[in-house]
Amino acid sequence: MVKKLVDAIKNLVIGLFTTGKHLGRHAVTLQYPKEKWQEMPERSRGIVVLLSDKETGKLNCTVCMLCQRACPTAAIRIEFEKVEKKRVLKDFIVDNTICCFCGLCEDTCNFAAIKMAPKYEFSTLSKEDLIWHRDKLQEMGRDVPYEKPVRKKKAVAKKPAEKTAGTAAKPKTTTGDETGKEKPKAQNGQTEAEKAKNETGRTETPKPDKVEPSKPEKPEPGGDDNKNKKDDSQATTESGESEKDSRKESK
Amino acid sequence: MELVGIFKYLYELLADSGLPEVWVELIGLVAAAVMVFGLLALIALFLVWWERKVSAHIQQRFGPMLTGWHGWRQTIADALKLLQKEDITPTTADRPVYYWAPIIAFVAAFAAYVVIPFGEGLIVADLNVGILFIVAITTFTIISLLMAGWGSNNKYALLGGMRSAAQVVSYEVPMVVSILAVIVFAGSLSMVQIVESQELIYQWYIFRLPFGPIAFVTYIIAATAETNRTPFDIPEAEQELVAGFNVEYSGMKFAMFFLAEFVNVFTVSAIGTTLFLGGWQGPWLPSWVWFFIKTFALVFVFMWFRWTYPRLRVDQLMEFSWKFLVPLSFANLILAGLMKYSGWFNW
Repeated sequence: MVKKLVDAIKNLVIGLFTTGKHLGRHAVTLQYPKEKWQEMPERSRGIVVLLSDKETGKLNCTVCMLCQRACPTAAIRIEFEKVEKKRVLKDFIVDNTICCFCGLCEDTCNFAAIKMAPKYEFSTLSKEDLIWHRDKLQEMGRDVPYEKPVRKKKAVAKKPAEKTAGTAAKPKTTTGDETGKEKPKAQNGQTEAEKAKNETGRTETPKPDKVEPSKPEKPEPGGDDNKNKKDDSQATTESGESEKDSRKESK
Repeated sequence: MELVGIFKYLYELLADSGLPEVWVELIGLVAAAVMVFGLLALIALFLVWWERKVSAHIQQRFGPMLTGWHGWRQTIADALKLLQKEDITPTTADRPVYYWAPIIAFVAAFAAYVVIPFGEGLIVADLNVGILFIVAITTFTIISLLMAGWGSNNKYALLGGMRSAAQVVSYEVPMVVSILAVIVFAGSLSMVQIVESQELIYQWYIFRLPFGPIAFVTYIIAATAETNRTPFDIPEAEQELVAGFNVEYSGMKFAMFFLAEFVNVFTVSAIGTTLFLGGWQGPWLPSWVWFFIKTFALVFVFMWFRWTYPRLRVDQLMEFSWKFLVPLSFANLILAGLMKYSGWFNW
């Protein structure tokens, strides 16, 4: 009886200390319209976008219709016409009013043509504006980073080259010269690495110019600064946008 | 800065103005009442905001942030909104009962402040039965809750009202008995004399071992139940009763219940301060500052409880009161009497 009582009192006090500890901590929530995540987690599922090839700028979509079939809410509709037994994309319609953000379309796609981009702010004033067509989807998907899947046949030959390159960003360039011996492969890998370096250099240089001037005007000087550094071009543009927004908000 | 001097000066100014003495008395009383009322309304508004902040930060949120500095204007906006809302009376309600319930709750909550000393000399009326008056007047809350439950003609409201009546009646006993232990030691029912008997910190009744802490803890537990706060909030258990006795109330009447609830929290904290924590006594700062520091600290403890402990079941609630708190407080009362009689710790 006494032991029970002592235990009870002890536990009550422990409970008080637990909540007291949390009272002393800083809040983890963000004041949304003013503060935002500068960079969404890579795998977060936001709006559906269509991806296009980074070099040619054309859509990756091959009109295989798998995503349309996979969509549980029938939010995707693909319109195409046949030109010499080949399907040519006419329009790609995503109805965001009924999209349930399950990500099945992204899972089914074999060509890295559709993705749930980590973008989430697309509210509109009218319902009609939420039905997005091909051009808009492509535009939204331009700056979304993605990895083009490697075709199974050529994957074996390509792997070492990729390893030396360190990035798998451009599998298309390697598709031409892979059947050779070791040396050309290594060379190829070298050039690949340099290319990648150049690429990253190019994408990284505009960052400081873009971010620095807006820094002093930022209303929330919290822990957002170091996040900017590891952004790629997509994130910088977005953060620039959000900073603009926040400035507008605070004035 | 002692407020008493200012009030005395104003009163003398009034007395010198040539009005008959009856009028001077009357105006003084009305002014005091209005001041206390305004102060408490402000405190209630502040407590609503503070409660939201404390709850938010315990859950590591921010709470209201958009209106003013950390959202301090939020409750003012809420109160103004409630003032504008339509005052709905259900067609099947028992009209007079329904109408008077919030008013009684409101008046009962505020009337207790007649005898609470806010500072040295800052008391509306130093009755020689002060604490008895408070105990009597705060019991009116039960009647108002029952009236609200009955008058609404709603099953949830009625259940809430009945539960709260059962709860408040059973926790009234340990609360009064633990107060009684202090009264036995102080030898007076007057709030001012009780405070004056604990001038130094070791004279505070919470530090008079062994009866003081026990009385204080039983008082705090019983007071939590009296004010219908978690973990004893079964009268308004949201998950079971929607909102309990005030389901049908809207607009200003709801606001009155709401304000009365927070004023009651402040009341029990103020009584706890007066009885156990030395009231206005304290060095350096003015007396009323000490009173408010201690009282708000106690209010914070109540809030802390609310966001820490889960709700008790009805039978657990009754068992806890009658099988544990009542015997404990009575034993404590006997202990206090023995200590007083033997002169132990009787400084």
